[in-house]
Amino acid sequence: MDKAQRIANKQKQISISEFFEKNKHFLGFDTHQRAIITAVKEAVDNSLDACEEGRILPEIHVDIKRLDGDRLELVTQDNGPGIPRDSIANVFGKFLLGSRFHAIRQTRGQQGIGITGVVMYAQLTTGSTTTVLSKIETESTAVRVDLALDTKNNRALRSNEDRLPLEEWFEESGMESLHGLRIKTVMAAKYQRGRQSVHQYLRMTSIVNPHATIRLRVFGKDGEIIDEGEWIRTTKILPRPVVEIRPHPHGMQFGTLQRMLKNTKERNVRSFLRKEFEKVSPLVSKKILEHAEIDEKRRPSGLSVEGIQNLLSAFMTVKIQAPPTDCLSPIEDLLIKKGLEKAIDSRYAATVTRTPTVSQGNPFQVEVGLVFGGDLPSDGSVEVLRFANRVPLMYQQGGCLLTKGIESIDWRRYGLEQTGGKGVPKGPAAILVHLASTNVQFTSEAKEAVSENEEVIDELRRALFEVGRGLQGHRKRIGQREKSREKFDLINKILPEIASKSSSMLGRPEPDLSPIITKIMNAVFCEEGVIWDSKEKLARCSIKIYNYTARARAYTIIVKWPERDGVALVENERGGRKETRGLWAWRLDAINPGGMTEISFAVNGLSNGDWKEAEVFYRGNGEIIGSERIDESLLEEIRKQEGLKGVVEEFVDESPVQSPMIEEALEGDSSVVADGEKEWRSDGKLF
Amino acid sequence: MQDRSRSKEETVDALHAVAAEMHDRMMRGEPPRMTLPVRSKKNIAFDEKLNVYKYGSKKTIRDATSLGSAHQLLRALHVTEFMEDMIESKKSSTLREMYYISEGWGYGKFGSQNESNNLAEDLEIVTGCLREDFKLRPEEDGARIIGNLTFQERNRRGEWMRINCRDDVGDSGYGVPYNVESEKLQLVEHDIDFMMAIETGGMFDRLVENGFDELARCGLIHLKGQPARSTRRVMKRINEEWGIPIVVFTDADPWSFRIFASIAYGAIKTAHISEYLATPSAVYLGIESGDIEAYDLPSDELTSRDIEALKAEKSDPRFQSQEWIDQIDLMLDLGKKAEQQSLAKYGLDFVTDTYLPEKLQQKLGLVIG
Repeated sequence: MDKAQRIANKQKQISISEFFEKNKHFLGFDTHQRAIITAVKEAVDNSLDACEEGRILPEIHVDIKRLDGDRLELVTQDNGPGIPRDSIANVFGKFLLGSRFHAIRQTRGQQGIGITGVVMYAQLTTGSTTTVLSKIETESTAVRVDLALDTKNNRALRSNEDRLPLEEWFEESGMESLHGLRIKTVMAAKYQRGRQSVHQYLRMTSIVNPHATIRLRVFGKDGEIIDEGEWIRTTKILPRPVVEIRPHPHGMQFGTLQRMLKNTKERNVRSFLRKEFEKVSPLVSKKILEHAEIDEKRRPSGLSVEGIQNLLSAFMTVKIQAPPTDCLSPIEDLLIKKGLEKAIDSRYAATVTRTPTVSQGNPFQVEVGLVFGGDLPSDGSVEVLRFANRVPLMYQQGGCLLTKGIESIDWRRYGLEQTGGKGVPKGPAAILVHLASTNVQFTSEAKEAVSENEEVIDELRRALFEVGRGLQGHRKRIGQREKSREKFDLINKILPEIASKSSSMLGRPEPDLSPIITKIMNAVFCEEGVIWDSKEKLARCSIKIYNYTARARAYTIIVKWPERDGVALVENERGGRKETRGLWAWRLDAINPGGMTEISFAVNGLSNGDWKEAEVFYRGNGEIIGSERIDESLLEEIRKQEGLKGVVEEFVDESPVQSPMIEEALEGDSSVVADGEKEWRSDGKLF
Repeated sequence: MQDRSRSKEETVDALHAVAAEMHDRMMRGEPPRMTLPVRSKKNIAFDEKLNVYKYGSKKTIRDATSLGSAHQLLRALHVTEFMEDMIESKKSSTLREMYYISEGWGYGKFGSQNESNNLAEDLEIVTGCLREDFKLRPEEDGARIIGNLTFQERNRRGEWMRINCRDDVGDSGYGVPYNVESEKLQLVEHDIDFMMAIETGGMFDRLVENGFDELARCGLIHLKGQPARSTRRVMKRINEEWGIPIVVFTDADPWSFRIFASIAYGAIKTAHISEYLATPSAVYLGIESGDIEAYDLPSDELTSRDIEALKAEKSDPRFQSQEWIDQIDLMLDLGKKAEQQSLAKYGLDFVTDTYLPEKLQQKLGLVIG
């Protein structure tokens, strides 16, 4: 070999190893404690992505074992589609591989270093090869192979390749799955517990992946278990498959555009704009080029620096439709609720998924969850759970936009403690924040803190306000329920005893209690309850309206129910009518003094815990304790929004509807007096 | 309290009147209720005739429109029933026993012993009976007395026992029983010039050890903090029946002022029977606010609770005399309080050789020794 060639080879070899060494900090391998978290993260992210693509409900096992000399053995096992034999070397042995690096859509891994980094780290720190055991459904045997990295040629070296019969695969994998992947490696690393640990990482991962079952076992040197966790899936609904989209002109930067122009197969700029970008119609493309004063027949690669700059400014001037947002994969409010319930035992959970928005050509979507009460510790700060594209963010909490959004809200009005109305609030709560975007901007290469972005923080604050109002409403309902419970105790238990005791003591007749009860209560009460009927798989809701006033009362009762696709109101004997999406109304006959009317119905298509608390509103004269007067003006607003949305959906999008607006509107200011009273006076003549 | 005791029938009738008030209202279709005087410093006033502070005319209505009040009414009925049973079966129980017995009363159960004590007092007030009539005993600790006083106490066998509080007792003195009415305790004879009530056990023991009772020809009585009813009642009887002045020797702090007020003017909680418990002629000997500086006593800073208590006393009708206003303002000015035992700064005998003789001369014109 020629001397120069040898030097070149050597340089290349050094450069990959050196690249790794020098960039350990942002590749996540800077400390021994962090190395194991990063390795687990790379393997688990791959497993979740693979299962999602293969539409498989993921089951992931992570086993870690302490070895001598600060080394850990890591074994991860999934039930994913597996990797065909011929692709194994590529997936595990090449840096910067994978379609995800080029396509624009929301995926978990965005670093491109991925699992190869783990193989590399293991090799560099312990000289260990990485064993891969892969089973794909179409083959009757599994393939096992040891991998090392040939850094010189950026490829994997295979050794000890072997085929395992099905029974051995079942035994090795510990799963009854016909497909899956098992990775085993040894690396210099240290296992620790706490806020920044494998355990916490998997717990957070399980929250945003309620469809996954994840198990962790950590063994000491003598095989004793020193840490473990198991998070069982709470839903069988897989995340919506994400669609790849092209870049949007609004998100373009000079360098990217220059590279795209150079690499495109299109022959002229006009078709380049139309084919390589989202939402550029022939008309739009024509307008852009007119504005940039570029001939539409020009070859893309022939544009000057000035031309590219003109093009960029034309992008911002010409009106272009926002990019589609179905490339995002929100967890969706109901599933966040399930995820949170899986990991945190609480009394109350509220979640909000905002509708997708666009910032600088990048679609993004904010989701927020809040759990409250139950076993959560009431001293100390609330737990902040941050996620970007379903990936837990565990470091740099203080410098992250998602934390700043939480800190910028005055939580005191929602019932959490907060010094001076700023900072992370205190109390028995946990707040989850998820940012889904095709392009999450981080503060640094470590990708642990989301950087400032006004549009994102605005959306985030709106979502947080919503869950805050939800919490406030919940606390108010708890307070009212407590108050009515006391009153009911008073008239049902205490008063009859006072009557019978005083009568028998004095040897006098027992008094009639009903006029006394009316005087004591002097109000209309609403008692609501939602129970889960596990036999019929129904959420059963019962609403009782007690009239403890001296006059007959008539109301329309409106109940908020979790209306969505696949969910329906059943066993609703009183009928009633739909008020708007998510609200059902029943007009009740007048309830006489001392009387009670019950509304009962059930909701199917839900699972246990999806719906725990019914919000009850009323229209009519006189307050109902335990219920709120419906705000007619807001209701009108919702109807308009709903109408609008329906139209937009028909023409633009078929994606499932989310309607956080209802929640927002109903939980907003309800002090506005409704004009529903008129309705009763004109047609009711009830009083 | 011989003159106040009710017969069995009178007590039961008085209790039934409480139940009848509830029942009558229910028959009229109204929520049951109980009417009580307001039991706070806002509703005590000086009774010119009795020379003590009594409840004023402010009434509070406890009616069954809230859960808390309804519970109280039900408890009052349970307690009434329980008392009737005791009166019937000639038993008695302590307030604490009643609290535990209430465990079986379902919704009538007491939440804390404080609640049951308060309700017993409520019933005293509305019925005009005393808890002795209800056959309820306090478990509060009565005082101990040392000095040349002779009592006659009826023992458990029903025999009268003669006890001289100097010769027939040990160092801990004569223990005052919870019932100090004449059917249980009689004042026989004495050879003392005054009675000194002492707040703390440490100071009581100091005076006993120094033989102050003989030196100053006095009786010593240990209050044990805020004095029990029986302690106040026995002082009142000594004062009235023997014509012996009572002097009170306490720490210098806001709580000691209240101890004195309960002895001399009547306590807020028991203002319905102030005339039986309070000794209007009692004299506050010290330690006074001014003594802290005058005797240069070791002192502590007033805590925020102390300051609050002093400020509350300024709006307490019992502390409206100029002497008390000066006393309280001076303590607030100094920002300091002192314990009785801080006098030990000048030696163990200073209190008996110097401080008390000076004070007694100043306040009563008595010359010791």
